[in-house]
Amino acid sequence: MKQVFFILAILVMVLFFNDGAFSQTTDDILLDLDFNVEEVAKKPYSINANIETKETIRFLDRDALLFKQKYLDKKSEDVAWQTDLDLTIEAQYQKDSFKLYGRFNGLFYYNDDENFESQRKAEEAYVSFQPSFSWAFDVGKKVHKWGKGYAFSPSAFFSRPKDLDDPDATLEGYYSLSADYIKSMEGALQTIAITPVLMPVTRDLNHDLGPKDELIWGGKFYFFAFDTDIDFMFLISDNMDDRFGIDFSKNLSPSFEIHGDAALVKDYHQYIIDEYGNTSEQEYTAFNFLLGLRYLSSRDTTYIFEYYRNGQGYSAREYDNYLSLIERGFDQYLNTSSQTLISQSKTMSVYYNQQAAMRDYLYLKVSQKDPFDLLYFVPAITLIYNMTDQSASITPQITYSPLTNLTLDLKTGLLLGESRTEYGEKINKAKIVLSIQYYF
Amino acid sequence: MKKIIIITLLGLLSSMTAFALDGNEILKQVDRNLNPESFEMYRKLINIEPDGTKKEFVMFSLKKGKEKIASVFLLPASEKGRSTLRIGENMWLYIPNVGKPLRITSLQSVTGGVFNNSDIMRVDYNSEYNCEKIETIDKGYILYLRAKLKSVAYETLTMFIDSEKLLPYKIEAYAASGMLIKNLYFKNIKDFGNGVIRPEIIETDSPLYKGYKSYIVFANVKKRELASEIFSLNYMHKIDGLR
Repeated sequence: MKQVFFILAILVMVLFFNDGAFSQTTDDILLDLDFNVEEVAKKPYSINANIETKETIRFLDRDALLFKQKYLDKKSEDVAWQTDLDLTIEAQYQKDSFKLYGRFNGLFYYNDDENFESQRKAEEAYVSFQPSFSWAFDVGKKVHKWGKGYAFSPSAFFSRPKDLDDPDATLEGYYSLSADYIKSMEGALQTIAITPVLMPVTRDLNHDLGPKDELIWGGKFYFFAFDTDIDFMFLISDNMDDRFGIDFSKNLSPSFEIHGDAALVKDYHQYIIDEYGNTSEQEYTAFNFLLGLRYLSSRDTTYIFEYYRNGQGYSAREYDNYLSLIERGFDQYLNTSSQTLISQSKTMSVYYNQQAAMRDYLYLKVSQKDPFDLLYFVPAITLIYNMTDQSASITPQITYSPLTNLTLDLKTGLLLGESRTEYGEKINKAKIVLSIQYYF
Repeated sequence: MKKIIIITLLGLLSSMTAFALDGNEILKQVDRNLNPESFEMYRKLINIEPDGTKKEFVMFSLKKGKEKIASVFLLPASEKGRSTLRIGENMWLYIPNVGKPLRITSLQSVTGGVFNNSDIMRVDYNSEYNCEKIETIDKGYILYLRAKLKSVAYETLTMFIDSEKLLPYKIEAYAASGMLIKNLYFKNIKDFGNGVIRPEIIETDSPLYKGYKSYIVFANVKKRELASEIFSLNYMHKIDGLR
């Protein structure tokens, strides 16, 4: 069944390809250098879309504690498949100083656990009013991506966390009212920008930000001075704890960039569970930061490196206690059929099973542009290393764009680590993801 | 005898300085002839592979003063909305998916292929290069240019100039090692209106990409007064709205 769905997904993709994509081959070698700007003439509205089909093969680690937590002994397969068909539509309408913008996503997928499922969401939908070059106001669902980190973003106070497996992926925004004021000047300080943000939390709006109805407020102050980008940001909230951050980015040489990102989370509440299932809460001011660099070699190899200190993360002992609880819970289930301890561990999984749940991480991505004279071909490898327990995730990847608007991506993820380590106890030990994406 | 040697040396030095000044003045004139100091334009970038496969990109750009340029990709659909900003030696790329500007370098390529960011985010030649030597040939001049900024993609340029029109017809771009990286050929001089007369096409080839060719085709090059606020990170996702 799943193979049939995958084939159907590819067929749907093919139907979306326009003739132009395939016609640009050797038959088309006669060069037409005419450029009629009418083909890109400005219209008040625009609609763009991309469709992606993706096949994911997960090689399950049946001995891993997170596998036992999720499936107990009820799953016998070693391999899990998932097929995704994902459509994103982006639409905008502009009239004078007003702009309506929306990005909508529909996902239809099949996997062994859930069979066929679908999801729909508006990732962004907002109205923008720009009375002058200096001022802009936005109201609606919008992504506010702050911070200079590539993989980690401790100071991205008003956005959802990035997917460490795909930091470039689009995110879903929150409902907010924001403004932007920009002032440019001559001299060492060239630009100042101020971005205040108001974000309501109610039963209907942004309810995943906390149980209390409130108006979260905050802002960002941007300075471009001495060829350096600097931001100061803050967020005031009862639900999310008050936060204060700073980031910077600068090129030390044309091919060498450094960046940093730091945030204080005041009175952060950390929830802890011990190996017997007892929960407790500790309150402290957490300090999160990252230091990173981006380097482009003379051979067109790009290195992105980041060290991340997650002050909100768990210590080695706290994480080990959590894994012990799962182990004890699984034994309890096998011996007595009771799921008490496993259930207790599951209630805390929202904290412990999140990505980068511990304290010290290294991130390294190395990508090579156009190797072997093959244009639009980019192999890359990504390493995420948990310094505390010395476990890691390694992801080799190949991206190729052989035709206009078409991207092929093959990604292999390997999780490495001893038992009782973060990556050693994940549900999968490896995965392969093949995706085909077409834009139109 | 000593006096004669000193006078001769001083004479030589002063004549070299005069040549350098002339070269830089010619370079400034070439810059102004290539485009007004503040202007807008559309460009089509065409990459052609040895098997004839081609990829096209269309972008809209705005330039202010000597060192500020902002662009947004209009085509193909996969690149639409990507924008670039350059202020002096600083360059950023905004990708709609990523949702925030990232710093990039002149040697990288936002389009892939033969063009690098320096080609796409070109500011005035005279703000990046000093003329070290000038030669007169039948058709005009050859300017030997050396980078004065560390962020440039090419350490030296050899610019062949038509002395009648004061426009380049060929540029050879070299790395610091002296290796030829790229040839740029300026073709089809066209009147874009309002006194803007410049080559419509830049053809590029590179010994590093044997068999590959690239073209930049210019359209609607016209003067435009622009607010400085446009050239800031917070404005990058709104450049398309300025068309």
